[in-house]
Amino acid sequence: MNGLARASVRFRPASFAGTFVALLVASIVVMACGSLLQTGLTARIEPVRYADAPIVVAADQFTRRVIGNRDNREEIKAVLPEGARIDASLASDIESTRGVAAAVPDYAAPVSADRIGPLTGRDWSTRILDGRSGDLAEGAAPGPGEVVLEDASAATAGISLGDTVTITAADGPHQLRLSGTMADAPSDGSEPGAPTAWVPDGYAAELAGHPGEAEAIAVFAEPGADLDQVSSDLRAAVGPDVEVLTGSERGGVEAPSLPFARELLIGFGGSFGGVAAFAAMFVVLSTITLAVNQRNREVALLRAIGATPRQVRRMVATEALLVAPLAGAAGIVPGLLLARWWYDQLVERGAVPAGVDFATGPLPALAAIGAGLLAALAGGFAAARRPARTAPSQALGEAAVEGRSLSRGRWVAGAAFIALGSALSILTFQLDGDSAAVAAVGVVMIFLVAVALLGPAIARTATAVLGLPLRGGGAASSLAAANSTANARRLASAITPIALVVASSSVLLFIGTTVAQATEDDVRNGVVADHVVTTDGPGLPTGAVAQAASVPGVDAAVGILRTEVLYNGFEEFETADTIAVSGDPGALDEVLDLGVTDGSLADVGRGTVALDHLLARSLDADLGDTVDLRLGDGTIHEPKVVAIYERGLGLGQVLLPRDLLADHVRTAYTQEIFVSRSAGASPDHVAAGLQALDLPGASVTDRQGFSARVDGDLEIDAWSNRVMAAVFGGFASIAAVNTLVMVVLDRRREVALLRLTGTTRRQVRAMFRWEAAIVAATGVSIGGVIAVVTLTGFARAATDGLPSIPPLQGIGVLAVAIGLAFAAMALPSQALLRRQAHAGVE
Amino acid sequence: MPPHLRRSRAAAHPDDRHDPAAAVELRDVTKTYGRGDESVIGLDGVSECFRRGTFTAIMGASGSGKSTLLQSAAGLDRPTSGTVTLAGTNLNELSEDALTALRRAEIGFVFQGFNLMPSLTVLQNVLLPLRLAGQRPDHRRAEAMLERVGLSGFGHRHPSQLSGGQQQRVAIARALIADPEVVFADEPTGALDATTAEGILALLRGAVDHLGATVVMVTHDPVAAAAADRVVFLARGQIVGQLDHPDADLVARNLRELVAAAGGARR
Repeated sequence: MNGLARASVRFRPASFAGTFVALLVASIVVMACGSLLQTGLTARIEPVRYADAPIVVAADQFTRRVIGNRDNREEIKAVLPEGARIDASLASDIESTRGVAAAVPDYAAPVSADRIGPLTGRDWSTRILDGRSGDLAEGAAPGPGEVVLEDASAATAGISLGDTVTITAADGPHQLRLSGTMADAPSDGSEPGAPTAWVPDGYAAELAGHPGEAEAIAVFAEPGADLDQVSSDLRAAVGPDVEVLTGSERGGVEAPSLPFARELLIGFGGSFGGVAAFAAMFVVLSTITLAVNQRNREVALLRAIGATPRQVRRMVATEALLVAPLAGAAGIVPGLLLARWWYDQLVERGAVPAGVDFATGPLPALAAIGAGLLAALAGGFAAARRPARTAPSQALGEAAVEGRSLSRGRWVAGAAFIALGSALSILTFQLDGDSAAVAAVGVVMIFLVAVALLGPAIARTATAVLGLPLRGGGAASSLAAANSTANARRLASAITPIALVVASSSVLLFIGTTVAQATEDDVRNGVVADHVVTTDGPGLPTGAVAQAASVPGVDAAVGILRTEVLYNGFEEFETADTIAVSGDPGALDEVLDLGVTDGSLADVGRGTVALDHLLARSLDADLGDTVDLRLGDGTIHEPKVVAIYERGLGLGQVLLPRDLLADHVRTAYTQEIFVSRSAGASPDHVAAGLQALDLPGASVTDRQGFSARVDGDLEIDAWSNRVMAAVFGGFASIAAVNTLVMVVLDRRREVALLRLTGTTRRQVRAMFRWEAAIVAATGVSIGGVIAVVTLTGFARAATDGLPSIPPLQGIGVLAVAIGLAFAAMALPSQALLRRQAHAGVE
Repeated sequence: MPPHLRRSRAAAHPDDRHDPAAAVELRDVTKTYGRGDESVIGLDGVSECFRRGTFTAIMGASGSGKSTLLQSAAGLDRPTSGTVTLAGTNLNELSEDALTALRRAEIGFVFQGFNLMPSLTVLQNVLLPLRLAGQRPDHRRAEAMLERVGLSGFGHRHPSQLSGGQQQRVAIARALIADPEVVFADEPTGALDATTAEGILALLRGAVDHLGATVVMVTHDPVAAAAADRVVFLARGQIVGQLDHPDADLVARNLRELVAAAGGARR
């Protein structure tokens, strides 16, 4: 069998090349996604700030819950959006532990100062963590009501020792006396961000709004102490709710965005990678099936001479074993490059913190090769099953002409997949945004499998419909119609990849545009304020809203605090954008029209909540129901629903009282102030007046400007979707071209026969163009139907509306698919026609 | 295989017991295709016996069932009813795998066209049945067979480099290499010119005369039929006549009458 396999691989280079290309692309995709997954799973950051402190004590940054029942219980967890803090007084317990030399509570308070800009407030003792325990440049350590600034900061602000500095925190301005300045930091370039302002120990936490707490406690050990022993002693001392971290675990505390980045990478590598791998296997399967079917006659002959079905299958398997590992290995380097590019882009866009190392290894490579091998073997077996099993005479008869009908098994399986896809599509109504997106891609894949299974039947129907006008046309179009009718299987294998291109690209692109459009609509219709004060700094202090309200010409000013809360999604936590309102709650209507449909926002207070209607639907909550939430720092909260509104996307899906949220966020800054003008007031005057408030980092804009800012935030999601659509669509396009070229090149004899019977080159080309038209029309229609059905289900779930498809992008997808079909059939047919007329007919 | 000739005798009657001299025996074999209204009768209760060491030609108009008869006798197709016995074994009782093994060892098949695996050399093609049976390739035996069919030295060429007649010769070499019980040939000279056809027929005749092979050949050519010991005529799925020691003219005349009768019956 080995020799037979090798001989037949060598003999049909076009078929071999087609299979090789399909496997190669599959390998690239699996390698790239696998590397991203590995990067995500192993992502960690080496500690910089805590490099010298061998042990760091911090709070668990995850919230956890056990789900399931008796036999399969599972713990789910989610990153806390607002982080968690520990009690600073733990430091004394820690210091009394054997082997501990010192315990330093650490807190970074985001503040700002006039003429300097954003600053980070830190306790005086923590300067040891910066490596700055050296002497002051000038003056003395800060006492109560005092502050030490960096030399450069003081110079920028033009102040000297003894002057008063106004440090603005979330709770308003603090007047502090400059007691000293520190020499500028040694430029190690590792700590970007705001310059430091040192305050007396414990005061940083107060500035941040969490007095008595610490973000982490850095522990220094006595020389010669056994770190493992000290760690376990500490664990006993601090109890189970606090984490004792060593090694590179300490880095995770320094970069709060690390867990989010890990989730993102794991999402790309795992979820998207899973879907892409599935599609890749799917394409490999159909390519191999095509390759085997092209050799039906040889299989029939072998069977007649005396090859058992098992021998035939073994021969096919051997061929797969020859091709697959080669292609798998060849895909490793390109896959790595793709993963590297993708990862660099994520770092550049700030989705992944710098300092996380790109990781890869033998595992993704093995997965790439293994997956290709599996698909090749499966495809080969599936394709060889029928010819291997049928009685040889039947096989000989069928070999020249295709078998008539689909086996019952395929009909049943195809119908089952359609039913499954439809059921899943209906199920997505229950899901919310993120889950619905993943489900949508799954639905597309299921429908595409159905298309592949029912391919010949679809092809026959298509040619019956499209064939009517074609048969009435000239010689070329009649030929095209006849060819397509007689060779439904061949046609089907050309249609499926085109449908894949259209369906997958459309769904990936337009999931993003649908959500983006709905968000824009909500923001545009929801924000009715005349002016919006936003900030680039850490935020706007509490008093800012009252200040804004007192600007002449201002009718009402409402401040928005933004955070996220967690709710129970489908077997995992989901986050929801949350807002809290400060200022005159009665004036909310004048600046924000959230489209309340039930209840009233004025009722939102202690123990109550208002929800966006999509979220309410996901939670199955009506007015009066209690919902199970966790606030940004993990606190459990079960408020009663008192209002439901329509325009939550882009603004906020949960509305909670500010008093409650202020204690449970990192820093209780106001992110935006929405301002409405009194009748007759001049827009320019009001804007100027707001600007004159000189709020830290603030800029005054209008409704449109604010919408534009929100669009910018959606940018990273949109970019991700575009990348995924490009990777997926690109892969599908290569697969489509590959298949079509294989199909055309196999028709060498047919073309030669046509030429010999008197068909001109022009007529043959025209025939191929008509066939390409059939392939394109059918593929685009099927792919389009799948996309529309899937997108409609998704849009209902995520935005309660219709999908939003930008005309240019929609036409672009269609144009690419149609162009592919024509190019992939025209070019190889040109190659066939260039030879002499008699060549190819033996 | 005892290398002696056997003179042909009259066809055995259906109700005879199994004739030990028969290489292949069909009893009341019927083969229908399709279902219900669209069913087509390929063979209609055919009983025939092909004795060892004989050369039989099967003739008939198109659609008379000749290829069906051949395929049923060779175990390439299972009859709808009736039994086929080959080398003493009832083919109906065999599983697909066992049938394949039997085919490999005891049947040689020569088709009208597409006989050879295009990706293999001539030598590899000839050895194919043996390799499929798991035997080590016996190159000398293959070379000897090639010499017998007049193609010594062609071993390393590919089918695409051979003429039609040369390909048929290779096919015959392959059919004979496993020393089979029967060689079935389906219009082996159909695509060849008269001179080349003569050469092929001589090869088949020689295999019967000198190797003691049994050959059953379907043909539409009276000249080809004349090379056989016996001609069996088929019409509408039934055996309608036979001729011993045929000569070409007699065969042609019988055939013309058959075709006319078939055409008349259709009207």
